[in-house]
Amino acid sequence: MPPRVNPEKCDGCNAQEEPLCEQVCPGDLMTLNESGKAVCRENSDCWDCMSCTKICPVGAIETRMPYQLGYHGAKLIPMVGTNTITWTSIDINKKVERFRFKTRID
Amino acid sequence: MGLNPPKIGLIVSDPGDILSGIIDLQALKKKCEKIRGVEHCVLLTDFKSESFLIAAQKPLAEKQIDRLIWIGRFTVKQKCTLEKKLEKSGLNPYLNEWSDLTSQSFGKQEASEEARFKKALTLIKMAVARAKLLEPLETEEVPNSESAVVIGAGISGLHAASALIERGKQVHLVEKESGVGGKVGLLSRFFPLQCNPQCGIEYALKSLRTSEKLTVHTLSKPTSVEGTAGNFSVSINTRPHYVDSNLCNGCGKCADVCPIEIPLWENVIQDEPPFQNEMGIGTMLKETQKAIHLPTPYPFPETYLIERDKCPADCKKCLEVCPVEAINLDEQIDLKQNLDAGALLVTSGWDAYPLSKLRDYYGYGLLPNIIGNLEMEQLLLQMTKRSDIQLQAIDSGPLAVGFVQCAGSRNKDHLSYCSSVCCSATIKQIKQLKSLHPGAKCTVFYQDMRCFGFDEDLYQELKSESDVLFVRGFPRVNESDLIDGKMNLTVEDTFSGLPVNTEIDLLVLAGGMQPSSGGLEFAELSGLPLNKHRFFTGHYQCYPEESQRTGILTAGCARGPMNVSQSIESSGKAAIKALNFLESTTSIAPTYPVVNEAKCDQCKRCIEDCPYDCYRQNEKGFPVPDLKKCRQCGNCMGVCPVSAISMNHFTIKQLANQIEILENSFLRHEEPTVLAFLCENDAYVAACSAIDQGLDVPINVIQIKVPCAGAVNNALIADALSLGIDGVLIAGCKDEQCHYVRGFDLVQKRSGDLGDKLGTMMIEPERVRSEGIEIHESDRYVSLLNEYIEKLTKLGPNPFKI
Repeated sequence: MPPRVNPEKCDGCNAQEEPLCEQVCPGDLMTLNESGKAVCRENSDCWDCMSCTKICPVGAIETRMPYQLGYHGAKLIPMVGTNTITWTSIDINKKVERFRFKTRID
Repeated sequence: MGLNPPKIGLIVSDPGDILSGIIDLQALKKKCEKIRGVEHCVLLTDFKSESFLIAAQKPLAEKQIDRLIWIGRFTVKQKCTLEKKLEKSGLNPYLNEWSDLTSQSFGKQEASEEARFKKALTLIKMAVARAKLLEPLETEEVPNSESAVVIGAGISGLHAASALIERGKQVHLVEKESGVGGKVGLLSRFFPLQCNPQCGIEYALKSLRTSEKLTVHTLSKPTSVEGTAGNFSVSINTRPHYVDSNLCNGCGKCADVCPIEIPLWENVIQDEPPFQNEMGIGTMLKETQKAIHLPTPYPFPETYLIERDKCPADCKKCLEVCPVEAINLDEQIDLKQNLDAGALLVTSGWDAYPLSKLRDYYGYGLLPNIIGNLEMEQLLLQMTKRSDIQLQAIDSGPLAVGFVQCAGSRNKDHLSYCSSVCCSATIKQIKQLKSLHPGAKCTVFYQDMRCFGFDEDLYQELKSESDVLFVRGFPRVNESDLIDGKMNLTVEDTFSGLPVNTEIDLLVLAGGMQPSSGGLEFAELSGLPLNKHRFFTGHYQCYPEESQRTGILTAGCARGPMNVSQSIESSGKAAIKALNFLESTTSIAPTYPVVNEAKCDQCKRCIEDCPYDCYRQNEKGFPVPDLKKCRQCGNCMGVCPVSAISMNHFTIKQLANQIEILENSFLRHEEPTVLAFLCENDAYVAACSAIDQGLDVPINVIQIKVPCAGAVNNALIADALSLGIDGVLIAGCKDEQCHYVRGFDLVQKRSGDLGDKLGTMMIEPERVRSEGIEIHESDRYVSLLNEYIEKLTKLGPNPFKI
């Protein structure tokens, strides 16, 4: 399921040539629309890697859960720290699970 | 690190017995010795400065300690002395870590002994985490160009230039008119001694005339500004003078034969229509000059120039008489040059507010006997110069002159601000007029007389000693008011509510000051920020005369309305500030930001959000800060979405490791812990003084000092929250008071975004909070914390808390 961009929040990375989501998308799917907001140009090609969701500096992107993993309304939300990432998984019954992982050693 | 893990020495000093009154220091010492990396721990019992030094030198020599943590309160002077002395023993100053436990709160009676002890240990562990990543750093010296470019040769520019020349610096003075002096060159008198401005300009020029260090570029304008503080390159464009300034000896033979007369002030006063009225003001001010003439407004440089567009075709009279063959009538091309400069001083001054915009209200340009106050200055100047010039009343009765204050100022349709000098200027003009025309009847129409400082004396003097009538109210002038050359004006005096009838021969409008066109052009080409009134802006309380671009200084009326002496003072300050960039090198503190290219995504947010426009891309596209422009506020570190930017000595890794220590709370599980990032300029000082004042700062808060609230990266807040810290407070300077322009705005926006994300994660967004706290708001800081902690207690523990 494709990433969904909240146009209110997205600032198009200040209209730089390439917004961050465009840079990180491994399928080169993200781009800016005419109003300078990020958009996924081919929803069916997205393989839900969530790179765009993780990197968006203003938290404007949400990845919908594919139906195989959770029914409509289920959410998986990443929050990236300096060397940690947390995942919050909310199922359709609002049951919440949280995970924290170390990401980098530098 | 690598093969040689850092060896840390801990020195605890508690001269006021503050810490020992709260915690068992001996037990703490035992715990500290077990912290990984700590090789030495000592509790000082003797607090003389020599004992500090010995306590530090001993482990350095005997245990090969390579970094020191000083626990306890030290004055800045003590810190500097110790750092300097230890440097001689081989310890780089940046390998000292100062952890002032006494500025952290240990709560009042309610807090348990255990919690205090644990908190102290946590804070020391945080200091160790930071110390492990300390790196030795050296101050860097970056070379500068030792010459300055001063833009605008008015009174501010002249004084700035002469101050710099006195210090032996090379100065390029760039002026768009043909001569120096600017607006002051048009005045007849100036404050406070009522002296003649020509004399003031001459005095300013005294050291400049003989100096070889000064180059004056008249009829010139800057066209581009490149480079940075210490190494600017300014391109200027000079219009042809048609006279070689190296050859001209100023003999004036050319002007004697020149057939063309042009009005002297035509180019100088921009308002229309200049000096045309029935009283002969037009004729008396029609002083003319030849098409080949000395520079105006003040004849410096002393060489002639030609207004070529005024020359008749094929006239070569000047060329024929010039004894030194200095004239070249075919000089056509503008001269373009590049000037190197360490610092730029913008003294672009002001322009008179165009009074033609007041045509409908005051009839300027509609009726002949209405003039502006700059024109009045000219009139007075001419009357002083030549005794044959006299003002005459139309009906040969006593001369009646009206002065209208705030003509265009303090008016939302014109200039909304107060031009600050016009009230005093009117007083000055009346005094001078009275000395020349003792019988003149003067009426001042005003809303408030704003004679600042000692100028009030002049106002009171005038009010008590002469027959000047002050009417609080403004006339509205219509064409029909002019009867037989006199104006009959009816004004409602807003004090008495009664109408006042006056007959006026001459009405002088005290027009306001607006930013000069040259200044605005420069702002555009250099990108210097302007305030809402379009004057240059900066944080002048803390960085006097500095613009938001390091190395570019703004002085005099380019900054806003000022009188002559204020402008001169301002230019002096600017010159002192400029000297920093005119020494052979500038010292750069090594605590500047560094971009980790392995992490950087080249998103350019740092370039965009740096308040000082420091960042440029290198050939690989990575952002690189210009160290001379950088004021080390850390906003780039805060804004980077991939945490790729770190300040030296205050790295994001250090902060992250410090925060990691907080995973195990020093409080019970249900008691909230708060991590507070406090701006060192305001909030941190307020927090420290809260503790010094004995206020009950809750024990729940751990305070971390940051250079600016804007330096706090969202990733750090995410770290803290994911480790189970219940609340994160970011406190910076209120609203627009931020030293670094918009650091606090940026962090507010970012923490708002993070709060929204927390909401979707089903975590209360209130767990992230940004607040503006002023330096004296210790009380508010404490009550805000108490209220925050109460709220967090109600919310319950952070779901990530173990």
